[in-house]
Amino acid sequence: MTTPAAHSPPLPVGSGPAETRPPLELTDLSVMIGGQGGDGTLTVSDLLGRYFRKCGLYVYTSRNVLSRIRGGHADASVRAARDPISAVKPEVDVLVAFDNEAVDMGRAELAAHGFIIYDSTAFHVDLPNAAGFPFATLVGGPLGQPIFKNTAAYGALSVLLGFDGAKTREVIEERFKRRGGEALEKNLKALEIGRKAALEATGVAGRFSVAEGDAHNLILTTGNQAVALGFVVAGGRFFAGYPITPATEVMEYLQRYLPAFGGVVRQAEDELAAVNMVIGAAYAGARVMTSTSGPGLSLMTEGIGHAGTAEIPIVVADCARVGPSTGQPTRHEQSDLSHLANLGHGEYPRFILAPANPEDCFDLTIEALNLAEKWRAPVILLLDQALCQNTTTSARFDLKHARVDRGKRLGAGDVATLTEYKAYKFTEDGISPYAPPGTPGLWAEITGNEHDEWGHVSVNATNRVRMMKKRMEKMTRARDDLPATRFFGDPDAKIGFVGYGSPRARSWRPSRSSPPAASRPGTFRPAHSSRCRSTRSSRSSARSTSPTSSSTTTPASLRGSCASTCPRTTRSSARS
Amino acid sequence: MVQSAKPVPPIWCPGCGDFSLLAAVKKAAANLKIPTHDLVLVGGIGCSGSIHNFLEVNGIHALHGRLLAQAVGVKLANPGLTVVAAGGDGDGYAIGMGHFMHAFKKNASILYIVMNNETYGLTKGQPSPTSQIGFEGNVEAPFDAVLSALSIPAPNFIARTFSGDPKTMTTVLEEAIRFNHEGRGFAFVEDLSPCVTYNDTYKLWREKVLDLSKLPGYDPTDRKTMFRLYLETIESGKIPIGVMHRPREVVKAGLEAKLLGELAGPARAEIEVAPNLAAYEKLLAGLA
Repeated sequence: MTTPAAHSPPLPVGSGPAETRPPLELTDLSVMIGGQGGDGTLTVSDLLGRYFRKCGLYVYTSRNVLSRIRGGHADASVRAARDPISAVKPEVDVLVAFDNEAVDMGRAELAAHGFIIYDSTAFHVDLPNAAGFPFATLVGGPLGQPIFKNTAAYGALSVLLGFDGAKTREVIEERFKRRGGEALEKNLKALEIGRKAALEATGVAGRFSVAEGDAHNLILTTGNQAVALGFVVAGGRFFAGYPITPATEVMEYLQRYLPAFGGVVRQAEDELAAVNMVIGAAYAGARVMTSTSGPGLSLMTEGIGHAGTAEIPIVVADCARVGPSTGQPTRHEQSDLSHLANLGHGEYPRFILAPANPEDCFDLTIEALNLAEKWRAPVILLLDQALCQNTTTSARFDLKHARVDRGKRLGAGDVATLTEYKAYKFTEDGISPYAPPGTPGLWAEITGNEHDEWGHVSVNATNRVRMMKKRMEKMTRARDDLPATRFFGDPDAKIGFVGYGSPRARSWRPSRSSPPAASRPGTFRPAHSSRCRSTRSSRSSARSTSPTSSSTTTPASLRGSCASTCPRTTRSSARS
Repeated sequence: MVQSAKPVPPIWCPGCGDFSLLAAVKKAAANLKIPTHDLVLVGGIGCSGSIHNFLEVNGIHALHGRLLAQAVGVKLANPGLTVVAAGGDGDGYAIGMGHFMHAFKKNASILYIVMNNETYGLTKGQPSPTSQIGFEGNVEAPFDAVLSALSIPAPNFIARTFSGDPKTMTTVLEEAIRFNHEGRGFAFVEDLSPCVTYNDTYKLWREKVLDLSKLPGYDPTDRKTMFRLYLETIESGKIPIGVMHRPREVVKAGLEAKLLGELAGPARAEIEVAPNLAAYEKLLAGLA
């Protein structure tokens, strides 16, 4: 995306007091903060994100970290804009460097007008558009510890970018109030140290200004947080997982949220245990989920197939990273789709829902739990690392449409109406009513072996054909329950992209400052072919309030591609 | 009266040690008056794992080695259920070893019964983790599950029984399930259950089993004593049976009690949106 600012000529440093020329106003800016792991780059990114949100801007932050606790290069980038954004932008307006490596890595991406602020305690940058401040030394003396250098850097940035002083301070107060007393006090001091140093330097103060936006009443969140919240609202009350990047936060959020709702979260000994614990809990009647990434998904494949044949409703959130094997844990790729489309040995019904943004993650997690329980089949939520972990502005999650559909679940009150209870009963709609263990007066046999209606193991060929048909037909019968395709961007677009996860976000460009419609692509999230043309009015009205101005309607210009592209990406629901 | 799944005839060979275990489970459940609809039997894979088909019960047939993970999931979802997991030594100590050791740590109030016959019967007589050196060419040391169980510092109930002594089996199983009902934690009972077809050890085991409760100084609440008695017994060429560990304190140390207290559990929680709406709104309002 281009902005007027991006084409401005570079400004010389030290060309006179800043106030003699107007600051360069940025309407879509990117700040990259780099250093060694442990330098506090993520804190600076967080502080900036909070500040920009106070200014009503859309924010997107991403992090480039290695799979280690400390050390190694780590950087974070914050993009803020007046228009909706859902990806990083290729150029950097301001680079904050805590080490030389950050300068080397960030320089290539620096815009022509770009500027570097660096910690000159240990190195020097010999560039005209750079200003060095010995942040570690400056804070180390008065505060006793160099670790506050990141907050001092935020202070210097606030001067460079012409931040409002009061809001800058509020951000620190909000960020550190929970840690209280000394931490807050020292960070406020570090802020002032950074501000003072930048104000005294030549050519830094007021170099840029940041446009205010009108994107208020939005939230800053990640796909992982949205999935966790969607799970709670969908009535999810049992979660088991095993730590794995980039899925771990789903478990961590739920550890915070679920106990208040009488729920249970367990960190299992491995992914085999995690998926089987949720299978056990779902069998017992709880709404369940596990989350994992590629390597864990490989281990869970056995359990997901078991849930498919035993007809136990589980939801698996797959936060895809780069594969195969352990691949690249902190990078995103969409290669898990091919594994998911053919998951397991033998055929069983399953549904794969692939959200495009956090709002989608919230809504689709609710739909996933309803689909799973109504159709008594495993449902997979397919995300990628960027969608999972990058922070973005999102519309507030909507509770108006949240509903819990337990399908044909039997309760104690239904027992009197029954003469017999077969857990795998053949029925008109292909769904066997289910009574969890503990329902007074009845019991059942549940198995992943082929079985008859009673759940007894069966090798009878006629029964095998009927049972396979019963299970596999769920995928066609459930079509009307699958979420609709969503369209993003220009309804008159001539070219469309089909995608999910972060590529969806990249291919869509916002309209206000985009090229003319003819060259502006539209994107839509794929769904089953029978759903491509549908519009659900109740949903589309809700969607239209979204900052991404998405709708569930497929534009006329994209309809031709719909039928040919959809089955491929939702192959599991197309096979029968 | 609702007609539910009826038991099917056992697939076991005549004389199989698993018959005694099945009878003891039925008897213990009847003595404890557990309603059938509240009893869940999680079966493993192997001859013994099919046990849930042979009695009136909520039966769930787990994946090979994964029965403990499923059983813990059932218990945590609905702590009101009596949950028994049952399988063989291959299922529990080979493919399921990871979950087996963690089950002691987790300490959910479920009963795990392993019918140990020191072979893979269903696949026709291969050596299992507990096979003696020399059995079908086995050169690996036999795994001692009870000794390993004693090494984990958790308040578990640990016992070993012998299918040749059905009366004691019933008593031990009853005590184990009562231990679960009191919310005290995990109960593990290894039953020495001979495979009459591939490893008929009835005669040998009858000669070698030694009930530790008959030894002077026997005190299952004292781990140190039990380790000593156990090791001395195996060093003398005998096989220890009886209750090996029972925590002294009667406290609700079970995982489900720690996590849920008196709550009904995830399977019985109120999950409709309307009654939770205010709490959901508050949760979402926390986002900025």
